[in-house]
Amino acid sequence: MNTLIYTEVLKLRTVRGPWLLLAAAALLVIAGISGAVNSTKDPIDQNLQAVALAHVGLGSVFTLVFGILAVAGEYRHRTITDTYLSTPSRSRVVAAKLVVYAVFGVFCGAVSTLVGLVVAAAWWSQKGASFAWGSAGMWATIGGGIVWNAAFAAIGVGVGALIRSLVGAITVALAWIVLVEGIVGQLVGALARWLPFNAGQALGVAAKPMMSQDLLPRWGGGVVLAVYTSVFAVVALTTSIRRDVS
Amino acid sequence: MSGAIAVTGMTKRYKAVTAVDDLSFVVEPGVVTGFLGPNGAGKTTTLRVILGLVAPSAGRALIEGRRYAELAHPRRVVGAVLETGGFHSGRRGRDHLRILARSGGIAGSRVDEVLERVGLTESAHRRVGGYSLGMRQRLGLAGALLGDPGVLVLDEPANGLDPAGMAQLRDLLRGLAGEGRTVLVSSHVLSEVAQTVDRVVIVSGGALRYAGTLKELTGARGETLEAAFLRLTSNPTTTPRAGAATARTRG
Repeated sequence: MNTLIYTEVLKLRTVRGPWLLLAAAALLVIAGISGAVNSTKDPIDQNLQAVALAHVGLGSVFTLVFGILAVAGEYRHRTITDTYLSTPSRSRVVAAKLVVYAVFGVFCGAVSTLVGLVVAAAWWSQKGASFAWGSAGMWATIGGGIVWNAAFAAIGVGVGALIRSLVGAITVALAWIVLVEGIVGQLVGALARWLPFNAGQALGVAAKPMMSQDLLPRWGGGVVLAVYTSVFAVVALTTSIRRDVS
Repeated sequence: MSGAIAVTGMTKRYKAVTAVDDLSFVVEPGVVTGFLGPNGAGKTTTLRVILGLVAPSAGRALIEGRRYAELAHPRRVVGAVLETGGFHSGRRGRDHLRILARSGGIAGSRVDEVLERVGLTESAHRRVGGYSLGMRQRLGLAGALLGDPGVLVLDEPANGLDPAGMAQLRDLLRGLAGEGRTVLVSSHVLSEVAQTVDRVVIVSGGALRYAGTLKELTGARGETLEAAFLRLTSNPTTTPRAGAATARTRG
């Protein structure tokens, strides 16, 4: 298993995709926080700190797409053939990808956090407010956001293993977030709380949700997201085993 | 069990289409064996079953007595280049081989050795996206040679090579066979095959048409390889419809 994990890390280190992901997440955090600070009518206080740093969790849209690349990207570039020639035990390959991509999701969340804290502290200072580094609400939001990044990376691995067409998998994933959870979610009312993106929001977004729906409590969002992640991990492991590679 | 690769009663069905139909043949070590057939004859499917990428509907393919998935270090036993294999265009050629070495339990020092052997040392630090088709073939070949395997399975390795590259490939394949390795190479360039191989396996419509030495095939009637190939593969039992259908499932 160590060999497989090192191999997956080497694959990531030898392409530019991970850097693009980190850059995209950092840009999202910079733009999101700057927008939140300058458009709000609320006081520049601790509550707004949590709202600003909630953008760390939104980077999970990027880690989801990045996770999809793990398997579907290998089909896209047709490197999956070499991967399975090296390691005929496909479930071990996918297991290594789940571990490596989840850890990379944590790393991405940590980088977003670092960038977000610097940007937020700079705005607070510019607005003449004092930045409360010990704010418990902010750190809980950040912690939830990082876990959300990791969970969505692993879910992405599952989606990519299931759909395998890169374009198809990314389309389905983004359409799910925007159309199913965003629009259909409003029709089904309280049931929408149980959908994965909304569970992630419960985990990684501040007390004030960005979308107008009711969310689960933070711990509830965490549990629901853990269940989704496990389901997609099992899907990824089982669907890869038997399929022909051609 | 004689032969480094033994295919026994292999059948592969895709829904209504039978791509490979009860195919059996043996590939001997120490010689280059050509694997020939018209488009859609089931060549690629057969190679993919041998390499464990496709599950057969019936029968089996063994490499040195084992199924591919049962090999402890497959890259040290079998080297393969598949037409459908590929590279990440943003990755450097050398990095591609480092990944294969890492995943195959092969010493990293082999990477530079195989780059040298296929003549790709100078381009190894460039991204694969900028490679020509011939350079990609060389990189694929380098990957196959990485684990110093006793068995080589090459699907259309001559595609995209210029005449000098063809000549180098021919020398390489004959050299590898001369070292006692098993070399199975599919091709549709019959003139090239005639100069390179000692034995041939010819399939058409998923079924075996001939397996034996090239000399016996062409010597019996004093034919060229092309004439013998066309005679064997234009047999009326080969329905064009089946050939076209297998081509569609592959493409």
